[in-house]
Amino acid sequence: MSAAPNRRPFDAGRTAYLVLNALLLAFLLLPIAIVLVFALNPTPYISFPPVGVSLRWFEKFFGSAEFMNALWLSLWVAFVVLVLSIVIGAACALALARGNLPGRAVLTAFFMSPLMVPAILTGLALFQAYLLSGIGRPVWGLIAAHTLVAVPYVIRTTLAVLHNFDRRIEEAAAVLGASPVRVFFEVTLPLIRPGVFAGGVFAFIVSFDQFPVSLFLVVPKGETLPVVLFNYMKFDLDGAIAAASMVSILLALSVVLVLERLIGLKAYVKL
Amino acid sequence: MISRRKALRAGAGLAALATVGAPSILHAQTKTLKITTWGGKWGEVMKATVLPAFEKEFKCTVSADQAFPFLPKLQVSPKNDPIYDVLHANSNEQWNAVVEGLVMDKITAKEVPNIADVYPYAVSEKIVGVTIFTSAIGLGYRTDKGLAKPTSWKDLADPKLAGARGGYLIPVNSLGQAHLMMLGKVYGKGLTDLDAAYKALEALKPIKLVDFTGQMEKMLLSAEVSMGVIHDSGVYRYEGANMQPVDFASPSEGVMSLEQVLNVTPGSKVKELAFAYIDYMLRPDVQKLLAEAVWYSPANKKVKLDAKYDAKLLTTPEKVATLIQPDWKWYNARREDVDARVTKILKG
Amino acid sequence: MMTAARPSPIAWLIAPAGLLFVLFFVLPFAVMTAMSFYSGNPVTNPNAFLTTRHYERFLFDTAGIFHEALWSTLRIGLITTIVSLLIGYPLAHWMARMQSRLGHALVLMAVIAPMLTGIVVRTFAWMTILQDKGVINTTLMQWGLIEKPLPLMYNEFGTIVALVHIYVPFMVLTLTGVIGRIDERLEQAARSLGAGRIRAFVEVTLPLSLPGILAGSLLVFALSISAYVTPSLMGGTDVLTLPMLIAQQVGTSFNPNFAGALGVILLLVSLAIVVAYNRILARLAGGQGMA
Repeated sequence: MSAAPNRRPFDAGRTAYLVLNALLLAFLLLPIAIVLVFALNPTPYISFPPVGVSLRWFEKFFGSAEFMNALWLSLWVAFVVLVLSIVIGAACALALARGNLPGRAVLTAFFMSPLMVPAILTGLALFQAYLLSGIGRPVWGLIAAHTLVAVPYVIRTTLAVLHNFDRRIEEAAAVLGASPVRVFFEVTLPLIRPGVFAGGVFAFIVSFDQFPVSLFLVVPKGETLPVVLFNYMKFDLDGAIAAASMVSILLALSVVLVLERLIGLKAYVKL
Repeated sequence: MISRRKALRAGAGLAALATVGAPSILHAQTKTLKITTWGGKWGEVMKATVLPAFEKEFKCTVSADQAFPFLPKLQVSPKNDPIYDVLHANSNEQWNAVVEGLVMDKITAKEVPNIADVYPYAVSEKIVGVTIFTSAIGLGYRTDKGLAKPTSWKDLADPKLAGARGGYLIPVNSLGQAHLMMLGKVYGKGLTDLDAAYKALEALKPIKLVDFTGQMEKMLLSAEVSMGVIHDSGVYRYEGANMQPVDFASPSEGVMSLEQVLNVTPGSKVKELAFAYIDYMLRPDVQKLLAEAVWYSPANKKVKLDAKYDAKLLTTPEKVATLIQPDWKWYNARREDVDARVTKILKG
Repeated sequence: MMTAARPSPIAWLIAPAGLLFVLFFVLPFAVMTAMSFYSGNPVTNPNAFLTTRHYERFLFDTAGIFHEALWSTLRIGLITTIVSLLIGYPLAHWMARMQSRLGHALVLMAVIAPMLTGIVVRTFAWMTILQDKGVINTTLMQWGLIEKPLPLMYNEFGTIVALVHIYVPFMVLTLTGVIGRIDERLEQAARSLGAGRIRAFVEVTLPLSLPGILAGSLLVFALSISAYVTPSLMGGTDVLTLPMLIAQQVGTSFNPNFAGALGVILLLVSLAIVVAYNRILARLAGGQGMA
């Protein structure tokens, strides 16, 4: 907010605004704080209040080859899915918003439909299709499945930004002599970056945290982290899953930070 | 500011690199046996000790799927090339499987010699496949809430326990289903007296219901409930590490049997190996290792467990006689109606 | 911008998405829809026959639970969406208008972190907070504000709280891009013309962020009506949604045909709602004379 010419000593409105947002943030972060407490609590079952601080669960997590393999697999699959979803999703959004396609509302709904189908059905349907067509369960099949459920996010967020788009900026660039391709790459794309970035973050997270779809499509020794954690939890209820969760959060947050630097949520071009 | 083009190129390059560096999944040159296994402690022991020893002795590779649920995947895979050779499941699931022709309906000592040494319950007519371990479903309770050790299943209905007792979502959990049938026996004419069971279920409200035993364990450990339906393994496995006062009680009417059953798929291409695996899992030394790791009662009569396990698990014919095996074939056939009825009773 | 009669070349950009969806969505689900008209799996089971009994089972609902499951699903979805919007909008607005790059990055991470906790651990965290012996109840009882623990868990309330927690980040991230693109000077112009802060917000910023609101709401609604892991873990038997039923049918009743039928029904209902949403969105965006 820009500074008003006369600075009032106490801005009640703004304070209320900040307090409200702080409370909402607290709501978001409270469960994570609890998870952190679990991760550091040395007792071998989840309890509250905590009895102490210990790193044993982190040791167990990092010392387990199974967890580490799963973590690595989840990370690089999520990364590939991120790249694929951004490219496919942004292209699709542009086509939907600008391409003058017939039946746009229906098409948009169609591309949103993976979100509305319980993921367990998606996983089962794909598993069935893969087996019927003899594909089996290769990693690229898993990646394709993740991309399918991630692309709708990118489409949705990019569309939202495109709807608010002032096309006169593009027209101005064209009038000034830029070719359509140049206008696209140097004006349009940078301006829709916030939408693409938001979608990309979703895509990465949706893939990294994906459980039901992965459930059917992973193979022994090739399981993603959420699958390993869920199965671990069914039998052993100790802090290792909390440690895994904290590590996932930290890792994914770093990725998001990097993405923010590269693509950026705040558009640099402001008129 | 990095241009989008550069970012895209970098991203594509990284993705390509990632694909190259991707963890490769082992391709067996020798025969591969595809099995299913639980996770947690069981999975750890299997992967660290039992399976490598088996692979060495039989010169094969074992591919163990841990991503539960297993039966839906087996349902979808072609019959002549099933996704598993050996299915490890509880007996209710094995019955679901055999009805669809997904597993064999009888395995005898001819295929698996060690069957000759197991307790009768392991290959009874209530079992399809071979039981390798079992647990007793009874009542877990907190010893610090002034409760007397429960002696009957009816103790769960004690009015003092209102809102502090735990059960399972019957449509999804076999312990809950077993409990329902037990209610029929305790309050009515027998395990198949569903009307009596429904009435008894109504009387158990309010009751906290969970999805799987891990949650029940947690509820007992955090004193969210003072008594709940649970199997002995779920209570005993916390001994030593367990600072919480939780104990297990076997009601006088009998304990329900939660069997770990192995079966072979008819379409398996490595049947001899599959039978050899089941035989291997019934060997006394393997049985002892796993039983003591997760507090399961071994099916093989010849197993000698250490004293502290022997005291609490079902390791003699007398103790084994207290096990009640439900008729899963009967239950599975009317599951849809039971599930609907039970959901209505317990809702709100 | 005049609307062309024919699709422009840009329309071709839809091809990769189209291909992906046809191969990995339409085809598998066509198979699943076909399966929903069979009694068993026709490929592996020669005795499977064509039947509409799965659909009849839902429509006639002699068990009395299926229709209720559909309404529960839609109701929980709607409440979750509205609450997520009420929580998400202020956060998104704050984030979009923040000047400090560092502050922005920090709030971004705080907003995203809930999405990353993982379904399982997050549920256990909520159990710790909401259950009878959880943080909230023990604190309130210690302060003497209540005598018996409030039933915050194993019911619809707990389910909605957990769902909102997961989906607020989606709402925030969708909205913040849109709000960020709204030129602040429009609001400032309104202020300089005499409008108070709230009025300037309601009459300038809010309408301009409407596409974001609808997009975010649609996203959260779609997600919450297909959620089943969280309601299962948080709702006990008090909550039975259609996705939970579907998961049960697949994972423990081993009836994928019925599950497929339920999935088709859920998808059709959802699509109808989404198409309506998009029509509104298109009309609003067109009405503003942009895009």
